[in-house]
Amino acid sequence: MPEDPRLMLLLALADDELILGHRHSEWTGWAPHIEEDLAFSSIAQDEMAHARLLYRLAHESGLSNRDEDALALGREPQEYVNAWLCERPNRDWGYTLARQYLYDTADAVRLEVLAESSWQELAELVKVMQLEEKYHLDHARQWFSKLADGPAEGRQRFSDGLSAAIGEAMALFEPLPHEDQLVAEGLMPRSNEQLLAEWLGRLGEELEAASLDFVLTRHGATAEMVPTSSGDMPAPGEDLMVPGLSRRDGRWVHEGGFTGAGGRRGRHSEDFLPLWEEMTGLYRAHPGAKW
Amino acid sequence: MKGTAEATTLEGAIWEALSGIRDPEIPPCSITDLGIVERIQVTDDAVEVDLLPTFAGCPALDVIRDDAEAAVQAVAPSLQLRVRFVYSKPWTSDRITPEGRRALREYGVTPPGEGARGGTVVIPLAALERTSRTSLCPFCGSEDTVMESAFGPTLCRSTHFCRSCRNPFEAFKPKG
Repeated sequence: MPEDPRLMLLLALADDELILGHRHSEWTGWAPHIEEDLAFSSIAQDEMAHARLLYRLAHESGLSNRDEDALALGREPQEYVNAWLCERPNRDWGYTLARQYLYDTADAVRLEVLAESSWQELAELVKVMQLEEKYHLDHARQWFSKLADGPAEGRQRFSDGLSAAIGEAMALFEPLPHEDQLVAEGLMPRSNEQLLAEWLGRLGEELEAASLDFVLTRHGATAEMVPTSSGDMPAPGEDLMVPGLSRRDGRWVHEGGFTGAGGRRGRHSEDFLPLWEEMTGLYRAHPGAKW
Repeated sequence: MKGTAEATTLEGAIWEALSGIRDPEIPPCSITDLGIVERIQVTDDAVEVDLLPTFAGCPALDVIRDDAEAAVQAVAPSLQLRVRFVYSKPWTSDRITPEGRRALREYGVTPPGEGARGGTVVIPLAALERTSRTSLCPFCGSEDTVMESAFGPTLCRSTHFCRSCRNPFEAFKPKG
């Protein structure tokens, strides 16, 4: 793991954007219709560009002797510090849209705060990114309203996607190693735990307004199904709650650990290695190539 | 420092040279009309040109930078050059000059924010509802248009449909 907290911060942001950008790009040529093909291809292009800006800042500010290409494509799997949410396969269209909504609303919260960073170069980059992320948020919110109000199957598949993604989405705010120092110096004006509280507050309101807040209490994706006389039913017990999430005084709050913890320390799910092999294959096969 | 007049003249010549450079994805518009050229600084032995990217992921950035460098080189062959994209401030679509907007319109791409009008617009193909500005049709001038997608063939363009002349068209995305 990077020793310097500033490098840690840049890599966490950049790796999230790069890896999710890679997943989005897998829709190129395959999305359900051409507008969405263009949408996901464009969002992927934006996210990868944002990753590049952050890697370049890491290199140009002397935090890493590796340039942007080497940081993006030349690291070993355990050196990537993205959250697990970003590396998960696209699964179906419902999961893809649910993840994009969760990621981009969470990203908006952290970018708002980083735009006020005491690190001027970072704050400037974040302001450039925010103007482009606005279109990603619009896309996510349009689909959110369409699916929340839409026919039963679409609503069901979207809520399944939210259920599956929500736990790991919270881990986007898993504290960074040496985060205290970043907060003390104003590089990160607020801690990840504070950002998570802010995001959960907003998310809870949006889900409640759409009567989708049941995804916060029912963890459809991991609840074990057990056969009963009424058919397969989710097993009772703690599996029914999203781990790490509680409701206190009418607000959703983080309590306990994280699902998919360890991303920020270079630990990954089983889905990361195949992605890494494909993403970095050309770079590894032709070291130093220019294109 | 060079004498002020001389520096100013050279700066003018550099600006003139840059106004001949096009964004390959927006061929009718020079980079000066797109508002990409942020700063030209001429000193005794060097020229610095700072450019702002329209979108950070624009694949034409390297081409624009190389073309701009060659153009400046031609008018200031004896000086050291540094032509680069900077991110110290975001490019916004209000940087496009009136001439640039005219060139976009003639090319068939509606300039950003043109024909802004409130109201809910139904997007036929994606079947998503959207409350947003519409864009004037660059072909027939109609306001009766819908945005089909905020995304298009390049990062800086969105796709639309004109219900009057029934043509699909593109608009330059408002930014900022």
